[in-house]
Amino acid sequence: MKISLNWLKEYVDIGNLPVPELISLLTMSGLEVEDYKDQNEIYKDFIVGFVKDKKKHPNADRLSLCTVYNGKEDLQVVCGAPNVDKGQKIIFAPVGSTIPKGNFVLKKAKIRGTESCGMICSEDELGLGDNHDGILVLDSSLVEGTPICDALNLNDVLIEIAITPNRPDALSHIGVARDISALLGKELKIPKVKSSKSISKLAEIEIEDKLNCPRYSAKIVKNVKINESPAWLKNKIKNIGLRPINNIVDVTNFVMHEVGQPLHAFDLNNLSKKKIIVKSTKEISTFKTLDSKDRKLPKDTLMICDGEKPIAIAGVMGGENSEINLETKDILIESAYFNPSSKRKTSKALALNTDASYRFERGTNPNITDFAAIRAAELIAEVSGGKIEEGIIDNYPNKIEPKKLTVRFTRISKLLGFGIDKEKIKNILSALELNIIKEDKDNLIVTVPTFRPDIEREVDIIEEIARINGYENIPTISKISITLDKKTDETTFTELIKSVANSLGFYEMINNPLLSKEKAMVIGDPIIVKNPQNLDMEYLRTSLIQGGLKVVSHNIKFGEKDLQLYEVGNVFNKTKKNIKSFDDFTEKSKLLFIVTGKSTKKEWNVNESGYDFYKLKGFLNSFERKIFLDNVLNDSYNAHESNFYDNYFQKNYKGKKIGEGGKLNKKILEQFDISQDVFLFEYDLEYLKDIAPDKKYYIEPLKFPKIYRDFAFIFDKEIIYNSVIEFISKNSSELSKSVRIFDLFENESLGKNKKSLAFALEYYSKDRTLTEEEVEKDFRSIIAAVTKKFDAQLRGN
Amino acid sequence: MLQEKIKLINKDFSFEIKSIKDAKQLDDLRVKYFSKNGLVPSLFALLKEATSKEKPLLGKILNEFRTDLQNQFDNVNSQLNDIKNTNLNKLDLTLPGVISNIGSKHILTQTLDEIKFIFKGMGFSVHEGPELESDYNNFEALNFAQDHPARDMQDTFFVSDDFVLRTHTSPVQIRLMKKQKPPVRAIMPGRVYRNEAVSSRSYCMFHQVEGLYVDTDVTFAELKGTLASFAKQFYGDDLKFRFRPSFFPFTEPSAEMDITCFICKGDGCKICKQSGWLEILGCGMVDPNVFDNVGYDNEKYTGYAFGMGIERIAMLKFGITDIRVFFENDYRFLKQF
Repeated sequence: MKISLNWLKEYVDIGNLPVPELISLLTMSGLEVEDYKDQNEIYKDFIVGFVKDKKKHPNADRLSLCTVYNGKEDLQVVCGAPNVDKGQKIIFAPVGSTIPKGNFVLKKAKIRGTESCGMICSEDELGLGDNHDGILVLDSSLVEGTPICDALNLNDVLIEIAITPNRPDALSHIGVARDISALLGKELKIPKVKSSKSISKLAEIEIEDKLNCPRYSAKIVKNVKINESPAWLKNKIKNIGLRPINNIVDVTNFVMHEVGQPLHAFDLNNLSKKKIIVKSTKEISTFKTLDSKDRKLPKDTLMICDGEKPIAIAGVMGGENSEINLETKDILIESAYFNPSSKRKTSKALALNTDASYRFERGTNPNITDFAAIRAAELIAEVSGGKIEEGIIDNYPNKIEPKKLTVRFTRISKLLGFGIDKEKIKNILSALELNIIKEDKDNLIVTVPTFRPDIEREVDIIEEIARINGYENIPTISKISITLDKKTDETTFTELIKSVANSLGFYEMINNPLLSKEKAMVIGDPIIVKNPQNLDMEYLRTSLIQGGLKVVSHNIKFGEKDLQLYEVGNVFNKTKKNIKSFDDFTEKSKLLFIVTGKSTKKEWNVNESGYDFYKLKGFLNSFERKIFLDNVLNDSYNAHESNFYDNYFQKNYKGKKIGEGGKLNKKILEQFDISQDVFLFEYDLEYLKDIAPDKKYYIEPLKFPKIYRDFAFIFDKEIIYNSVIEFISKNSSELSKSVRIFDLFENESLGKNKKSLAFALEYYSKDRTLTEEEVEKDFRSIIAAVTKKFDAQLRGN
Repeated sequence: MLQEKIKLINKDFSFEIKSIKDAKQLDDLRVKYFSKNGLVPSLFALLKEATSKEKPLLGKILNEFRTDLQNQFDNVNSQLNDIKNTNLNKLDLTLPGVISNIGSKHILTQTLDEIKFIFKGMGFSVHEGPELESDYNNFEALNFAQDHPARDMQDTFFVSDDFVLRTHTSPVQIRLMKKQKPPVRAIMPGRVYRNEAVSSRSYCMFHQVEGLYVDTDVTFAELKGTLASFAKQFYGDDLKFRFRPSFFPFTEPSAEMDITCFICKGDGCKICKQSGWLEILGCGMVDPNVFDNVGYDNEKYTGYAFGMGIERIAMLKFGITDIRVFFENDYRFLKQF
């Protein structure tokens, strides 16, 4: 919200407080200043100039060469604006001034070979408006050399404040002034209006929906002349960032920004039966608002109606049918209080957020409607020559009384950690119009003004005290006590996972779980976001794979083709169509490993090699070893049900799948514009966490020498490695041994459809030295067994 | 006579062999002393002139002398050979090393790790909660009324009328307090979602760390002390900080914490929008309504809560100006950290 300092000063005296200090004071009391413009500072260098002469620039068709008189001397200025002309009074920026747009210091420059000593400014360049089509031409009566701050009344400070949703009271100049008065200990000056007690007979107000419209006040002004507002009013309206419209609308806007009460002006003579009825719609209907748009109104929309028809969406926007126009003579000023949550529902349903609805949905002051109506009537009479109709129409069946709350002094120090002087507390509360109605040594009882709907409990009052007293005055303690109970860290396992992955050479990626329908590719049963930002982020991921492939694709585009990546993240699947409880969907943590491209680049002493299926498996084995799950998971190699993978495998624990992956199918990769092989594997991280032991016991290294043997057999090609190694491992004697394949060889010389597998065997014992004889015996028996079992042929014999 | 000559030759030899630097010099030495007409054989010629009585003794001396010189010669020879061999086998040590692949955690994870480390040191536990949350846990239990404008503070993705992608990590507070009696002291990191247009400054998904401490005597002063300590440990000892009043439905009083801009040191720059301050987190004393909602006695217990965005912290700390780079996962970005 924009606040004009000059306007603000009408309600509170800030003395000689420098602007930056005022800004800091506001921010430090909870009215956060996002930005401010001190016009005196911004425009201090700009002056009124006179274009004495205009010629064409010798080297550029679109540029003019102007002679500008600055009150002292003639200067040559190059100007690009099409509308610059001889005899104009203009805003002149001398060399050395700072141009607001782009925030640059103007230097003497040569433009297309001609010297330019300054600049003729447009509205846009000065930040005074949006017009950048040409320079701003000033009133011809202005005197050359006059600072524009004086010439154009640019002597305000415009303050942009971010008002938090709990502070509807601060959505006006008086509201902000009230905080300043409390902070500075100065009086708050509220404009006086003539009291208007009698009832006007010119119109009648009936409230059908008293719940959503607890109060409706109105004031009538007759014989108004719709016109442009006077300069003082236009200036105020402009300074707070609004567009002046006419003297009636400008006054209603002025009063709203003065006291926070939104107003609406109806053409009285357009009100059928001179009647206002406030009621809610019973069914869905349409209504044309004053911006000429047809609005679809849901049931139970609160409407302002005349004797026949709806004329406004209450508290949101007026209707086209009752808008004031140039012929309007008599007006009815509406000043009402609407139920905040009802207003919010309406403005949400219509996706229509106006200055009025913004205030109503945050909560206006029900006890100020009469004041605001009279204030507006008086100003309208002043600026439009109208005559105020005696009396006010005010329908307020059940007056909303200020709440009473008790504050305990002990509670203040218990919550804040220090005590505040009682007198100080009382002064703060009084300044905020929280009137103390009773006081004893432990408590204060205060009434809460109805413009502070946010203050509902003792703690809310404590916040007010802390806020005005200053958070900087709350001590910052330097010691804390720590309980000795057990501390938990639910992220420990994930951290372990990540460090193991890093040590294996994988980089962590973090992907957006929201995907397009196309990319979600319908693995599983994805959950759809009802109100996506765009269609690229409509589906929740059911797997980490799509995100990973997007990253692979992105990197390949940028020339990074050799990638080793992992991600830890949650994936989502629905189990019921409509999600009503936590049983209707699953959210699971997954771990994805993904490799593609070269694992080793060619170096002067190293040969190039690429990632492949076996390197992926190797990574997984190393990974599992480091989380103490070596030789715990079983691989299975059944084909994947879809054609997602060319080479697919699955890891299981006690018969239940714990992860899957392999080499992706080209068709899948094409969808991501990837033309190189990609290998990946996705673990169910929660399952992994469940089964991973949190510690491992020491195994004593062997004390006795191992005995080594190796052999190679020629097998039929279709005999798979796994069946051979399992056979060798399980076969024969009680001697412990480990077996490892160290060579695979396929060649016509071995015979058709034959291959050679070579294995290294290590025999060992924990408690004695093995003899060559017993090892040889075992070795021979394995050779015989393998030969027989697989119809294999021992090589080299 | 012979013995004097031996002495003389010995002296010369000892001197000369010390100055041998290469094979050529050594060979010259060999020729001079050991060749057929060299100095040592010539001594043996002199032996003929000795008396038969002297002969055995002189012969012995002469032999020992020759062996001694020969040994010295051999030593130097073998030293020279060693040097020669080493030179032949010498590596070009300037060739580059062979690169091993090593990965790293995402910079957001690293930033979070640092935050976790600091708070764990202050006695905080670490808890997690789901990203797909009930509207109740995400809003209502945290004192966001159904039709209150406070809901506009967090644009929300809905997956149904009752379930949302959590807009903050604060619902984990609710989960934790519902399952644990005070004292509760924990941080709760996690991913959150906001239905906002993607730009360099905002993304529809980011990460937060929530903090909560509830006990019988927790005060605003302790909140200030704890967060000031965190900020100094994380950003550096010399920073200044300030707490400003703000509003969050689940805390009362609420505050935002600013630190002096570490880029301009408070003078005002583009990053801090000329204010000299950087907002780093929101915090406050737990609202009594929240305690009611989790079944804590709000007279007996007080508590504080805080929350900060990890992306924002990492952007400030590492000079990243576009939030989207975190989620592009460009290898050239990932490898930098």
